Amino acid sequence: MNIFVLTDEKTHPLKAAVNLLLLTAFIVLIFWFSLSRIGVTFHFAFLYPLRGRLLQGFLMTLYLSLASLLVSLIFGLLSAVMQSSKVLFFRYFSKLYVTFIRGTPLIMQIYLFYYIVGTAFGIENRFICGVFILSIFEGAYIAEIIRGSLLSIDGSQLEAAKAVGFTKKQTIIHVILPQLFARTLPALTGQLASIIKDSSLLSIIAVIELTQTIREITATNFKLFECYLFLGVLYLCLTLPVTFISQTLERRFNYEN
Amino acid sequence: MKRMLSILLIGVMLTGLLSMTGCTSSETLEEITVAMELAYPPFEMKDDAGNPAGISVDFAKAFGVYIGKEVIIQNTAWDGLIPSLQTGKVDFVISSMTIRDDRKEQVDFSDPYANALLAILANKNSEIKTIDDLNQAGKKVAVKTGSTGFLYAQDNLKNAEIISLPDESACITEVTQGKADGFLYDQLTIYRNNQENPDTTTAIFIPFQNVEYWGVAVQKGNTELLNQLNEFIAKFTAEGGFDELSQKYLSEEKEAFDTLGFKWFFDLEE
Repeated sequence: MNIFVLTDEKTHPLKAAVNLLLLTAFIVLIFWFSLSRIGVTFHFAFLYPLRGRLLQGFLMTLYLSLASLLVSLIFGLLSAVMQSSKVLFFRYFSKLYVTFIRGTPLIMQIYLFYYIVGTAFGIENRFICGVFILSIFEGAYIAEIIRGSLLSIDGSQLEAAKAVGFTKKQTIIHVILPQLFARTLPALTGQLASIIKDSSLLSIIAVIELTQTIREITATNFKLFECYLFLGVLYLCLTLPVTFISQTLERRFNYEN
Repeated sequence: MKRMLSILLIGVMLTGLLSMTGCTSSETLEEITVAMELAYPPFEMKDDAGNPAGISVDFAKAFGVYIGKEVIIQNTAWDGLIPSLQTGKVDFVISSMTIRDDRKEQVDFSDPYANALLAILANKNSEIKTIDDLNQAGKKVAVKTGSTGFLYAQDNLKNAEIISLPDESACITEVTQGKADGFLYDQLTIYRNNQENPDTTTAIFIPFQNVEYWGVAVQKGNTELLNQLNEFIAKFTAEGGFDELSQKYLSEEKEAFDTLGFKWFFDLEE
């Protein structure tokens, strides 16, 4: 039995452990080699007195992301519904929204929305503004996820539903929604990981989330490498569980299908 | 006709040869790299064609001529300047950087070549008269992350809310829109932006801290380069190099500073 090559459907835990260990050693070695070449040593102890600020930033990122997920879900749903609407105004509106948002960088949208739209409508609170901007951005992607799932539901199912005498409402509740749910939920959870990462860009309008906290800290102590390495670890603490949940959901719903 | 042609041919060959030797001589010139953030006109900026320009750029190039090396300019974000020295990515940093004790722990500084003072760009409606008016609960102070204004605000404006932004233009927008009550930066930037936004801003030039000295930064322990820099700074100053650069980039502002009674950047006497 070869311990390095995938042979069966199921990987033996020992085999997995050996290979994962090998991979870790490989990464550590490359990293250690790079560090010794540039002659930098790391000391993370200075982070400890800063734990209060770091925790605050961490929580801020978490709140920002969760609030944005909720609001962007509403935007995404609205947009998906509007895109299949018979009223042309709604249909074009939604299409324009998705095209514009997906075709421009987030950093541009943040500056434009915050300094022009935000100021014009008197939204002073940076957190609220940040949630709005991020939700508008992510909403466009969520709209596409939902639209894609809707399109993937076979038209013959609707005919079948009609044939067995389902009303329109029954068709939606018993046929469309369960499948929509199964198809979008894994992708939506995955989108949460994107939201968490994208929220870091809100640091440019001084929302004091995790990235901004680290920027402020490095500006005074110049420990760029330690700070940003630690930042990576903190973001992984948020995104890894989310990715794991997303993959689990995907497997589960695949099985059911 | 034949003679003219041969003369022409020789001429072409000669220029070709000359340009070739020109190429080889510039290729053999050793390179030295300097990092600066090209976002602080007229000290570090880009001209319309996108080439580095400004007082610091000319200063760095003059140093290159002095030590007989070709100066390569690397445009680096402010946060990345000190790390790029620490990792040896560049040889020195000229970026209007103030010599501070906390920075001295990370890099070595040359003798000062310029000095500056902080000033406040205040929103017209927020009725700020002095720095103490900013240090109140509910007041918002915009600063550029990592700048001396940022460091001053963190240490001294504990009552105010500090909004730290990655670039100068965002700080100014915050003030003109009234999202922030004041912006702390050097006198020149405050002066210029007050001129540009006379309806929404007021400039406060009352000094509230010690003069800041600007130095060239090198990697810790690079005394050879540091000595060369110090020699050059003394020579360049004595020969009126900075006066020429002031004339080239800042003639109007120099006049305004003189009328306002402010100390000029390159006037280092106490």
